[in-house]
Amino acid sequence: MNGTRAATAATWMLGGLVGLCIAAMLGLLFFTLGSGLASLRPGTIERITLADGSSRLAEVVADDGHALLLRTSETRRLGEGYERVRRGDVVARSEPVDAFMIGLGDGRRVLGVGDDAALAAAVGSIGALARVVEVLRPNALGAFEGAGIFLRRLARFVATPPDASNLAGGVLPALVGTVTLVLLMSVLVMPFGVAAAVYLHERRGVGARIVRTAIDTLAGVPAIVYGVLGLGLFVHGIGAGIDRWFYADRLPVPTFGGGGLLWAALTLALLTLPVVVVSVEQGLARIPSSLRDGSLALGATREETLRRLLLPAARPAVLTGFVLAIARAAGSVAPLMLVGMVKLAPASPLDGAFPYLHPSRQFMHLGFAVYDAALASPDAIRGVPRAYACAMLLVCVVIVLNLSAILLRNRLRDRYRALES
Amino acid sequence: MSNSVTPAIDGGASVSREQAAGAAPALRTRALSLWYGARRALDAVDLDVPARRITALIGPSGCGKSSLLRCLNRLTDEIEGTRVEGEVRLGEADVYAPDAFVHELRRRVGIVFQRPNPFPLSIHDNVAYGLRLLGIRSRRELDERVEAALKAAALWDEVASRLDDGALGLSLGQQQRLVIARAIAVEPEVLMLDEPASALDPAATLRFEELLHELAGRYTLLLVTHNMQQAARVSDFTAFMHAGRLIEFGDTDALFTNPRERQTEDFITGRYG
Amino acid sequence: MRASARRRYWRGRVQRVLVAAGASFVLLGLFAIPVYLAAAVAASRAPVGVDWAHLGLLFAGSLRATACAIAVALPLGFATAMFSAHFCAPRLRAWLKPALEMLEAVPTVILGLVAATSFAPWLKSHAATLLALLVALPALLLAAGFAFGRPSRHDGWLPLSVLPLLCAIVAFGLWLSSRAQAPWIVPASPWNATLVGLALGVAALPLVFSVAEDALFLVPREQTQAAFALGATRWQALTTVVLPAAGAGLFAAALLGIARCFGETMIVLMASGNTAIGGFDPLIGLRSLGADIALGMPDAAPASAVWRDLLVATLALLASTVLLSLAAGFVRARLRRRLHAGAAA
Repeated sequence: MNGTRAATAATWMLGGLVGLCIAAMLGLLFFTLGSGLASLRPGTIERITLADGSSRLAEVVADDGHALLLRTSETRRLGEGYERVRRGDVVARSEPVDAFMIGLGDGRRVLGVGDDAALAAAVGSIGALARVVEVLRPNALGAFEGAGIFLRRLARFVATPPDASNLAGGVLPALVGTVTLVLLMSVLVMPFGVAAAVYLHERRGVGARIVRTAIDTLAGVPAIVYGVLGLGLFVHGIGAGIDRWFYADRLPVPTFGGGGLLWAALTLALLTLPVVVVSVEQGLARIPSSLRDGSLALGATREETLRRLLLPAARPAVLTGFVLAIARAAGSVAPLMLVGMVKLAPASPLDGAFPYLHPSRQFMHLGFAVYDAALASPDAIRGVPRAYACAMLLVCVVIVLNLSAILLRNRLRDRYRALES
Repeated sequence: MSNSVTPAIDGGASVSREQAAGAAPALRTRALSLWYGARRALDAVDLDVPARRITALIGPSGCGKSSLLRCLNRLTDEIEGTRVEGEVRLGEADVYAPDAFVHELRRRVGIVFQRPNPFPLSIHDNVAYGLRLLGIRSRRELDERVEAALKAAALWDEVASRLDDGALGLSLGQQQRLVIARAIAVEPEVLMLDEPASALDPAATLRFEELLHELAGRYTLLLVTHNMQQAARVSDFTAFMHAGRLIEFGDTDALFTNPRERQTEDFITGRYG
Repeated sequence: MRASARRRYWRGRVQRVLVAAGASFVLLGLFAIPVYLAAAVAASRAPVGVDWAHLGLLFAGSLRATACAIAVALPLGFATAMFSAHFCAPRLRAWLKPALEMLEAVPTVILGLVAATSFAPWLKSHAATLLALLVALPALLLAAGFAFGRPSRHDGWLPLSVLPLLCAIVAFGLWLSSRAQAPWIVPASPWNATLVGLALGVAALPLVFSVAEDALFLVPREQTQAAFALGATRWQALTTVVLPAAGAGLFAAALLGIARCFGETMIVLMASGNTAIGGFDPLIGLRSLGADIALGMPDAAPASAVWRDLLVATLALLASTVLLSLAAGFVRARLRRRLHAGAAA
């Protein structure tokens, strides 16, 4: 009886640890999404009065219990308005309803208080010197208006390029760079991945065993190692060679001899190859062998059977591999830090000028934007929320991709069940 | 044991073994042996399959009936660790010649398996599959030949209005006729059927046997069955196999009424099997 | 126009060659990495030798990060795998596995972000709370199970039914720590091995889970059924039948988890502080092989001594992870053969 109790207790502990995993997963997800969304919400403006009699309009951006970190008006320079005051020095805090905030194109925020005439005057005087992107009275917003502003900020974040400081504006180039990169990567990886999967499916024996071990091993190689290969072999080796032969007139300015979209896509293609191979091979393996026999019995060659019957039947598996590879590529940052990803790309790798896709150009990437805004930003108080906003986009992309992969796989399973019954 | 005489078979049921041997056989094996790894599945089988007749292969399960079929169109090539010895001739062609085009041989020797295996395509595309392999692209020609094959398999009337529906939606009996239509669309010389009626209910089985009679005038049929009544009902010739050996081959009536071998007699009288 | 048999035959042959060529590119890709690295190191004519002391510090840093992460990933991963393979209600399992797959897909840069910018400040003042929770959670769960637990057919849903209890414990711990005046344990830096270990452990958890669960699930049903028939409880069946049979699979899961942690770059880069300090203290910063490569490589001039040292670091990283994953693959293949042979016999 005692043994049973102990066993039950142990089961409870196992269950509890699983519960902990679930809670951690959900917590991580909601924290990231929540922080991302919160970074776009307009903050309130407070009037802080200190013991020495001075008072200022400011947003409270941090409060560690001992001191408040304030951001007051930034009339001249981004980041000039930060001020740290001890809690004990604060004698009064209020939220004036008529406070207003003028957001400028370079990310600066000018605060003020007054009626609409005062606001118009302020906008007029500032607008002469800088681009005004947003004017609002954050303390007087209704829930409806607040949501409207939130949506407008979200749209601007997704659909506009960043300001030169990379602290204001949107992340459109990073989105475009990420999408272009993963699409180019999938064009490179899919043929080889499918070929390798077909080879593994069709062949038994030493060759297949070697390829299988190679795939397993490639799956275990750290991402950064691919980055080193990309930089050393692709960029400095092959790229520099191409430059010497074809672009000698432009040297020493590198064309393919510097990090760029093509090399990054190739690096990621190697990185995601095992994902594609495993997924496609599993799909092929699940097709009942009676279909293959039936096709061969009709006089099809093995290759015709594959091309006309097995690969079409395994299409959801191919699609699953494609989606998983994209998700993996969209989230990998470390190898790209070495092969052409930059903070601010001078020109987009995808534009309206012939030949539209420029594989040698450097590009921006959402994952790198997260890293850069969080750790390499000159203004951490703006950088971290911006990193979370990027992270929110990235998480959404990756989760949507993975969900669709899971749904595809379930559909595939249903289809095979129909075949076998 | 009733002997059915069908109009499709000229000369009725009185075809003798000698007459059959006199006509050129469609398929002939000489000392055909098959190994799965170290296990011997076929042991020196000599069999002449008469052209345009129904030949039934009977025998206890595991006696090598299905293996023999798979040897005849080289589907054994697809199984790892198999080894074939001896000779198989399809008309004049040597099936195991090193320079034979296996896919062409397989087209000439069609096979229908125990469980219907329609492809996950439409009904039309199932039948057109083999035709497209042959390089037929014209939509009109494909349609005509699909229709002809479906009519020959006695399925046309049931599916004519829904040729573009998925084949997996058909009933089991319809699926079995569909795979026969698929097989005869590429105009094989020999059609082998591996227990084709075992998954069907009695009504569907009856229709199926009628179909076999209709096909017999045009194709050489080789039918594996575990059902001796069926063998007696539909076939002109019967071969009895046991433990990888061909024990007895002869006119169906003769074999069932007056078997020459003791083992055959034991089997058809139900003493084992 | 009909395709002749001969032409179709040759077309098939050509396609077969194309497929084989495609597959051999995989091999080319695999062999390109070590061959390139070794050749580049060998060809380097940098005047100074490899800075082995620095490399040793990096290796030690990677090891320390891995050790901390494994301390998180193994217990959680194994527990989740055991529960999922042996206790879990099928409907919960159908939901749990994809959820962990999703966790695996979360980009590590996001784990790094959360760890470095949000968790680090909390950890700096609440290291003692974390330690207390790590000890108290399993202990309290055990105690609760001992006090209130009855074997029931709803045990498959335990993770959800104890969730309120878990939340209560954590909330109580946090409330208690917020009332404490001074933190008992103060890490030298907010970015330290403990922080790295937590984030990296979460990142490695799905891999450990899926490999271990695979192995546990491979144990033939009949064997556990036989144990039940002899009167064993689920827990006894797990410890006496399933774990001994699939223990090698758990070992392989651990190896792969170690390889994953050892090679991970982004999390360590963001949450470790990147200071090359040796020692075993989990509360000080570290610098790992991967982070060093990511930080140094973009600015290093090819053919310089720094570049060569980074290549050596890459080789070390590659060799360790490949050896680990080959070993894991070997163990798993053997386990699969044995369990299949057992099932067939």
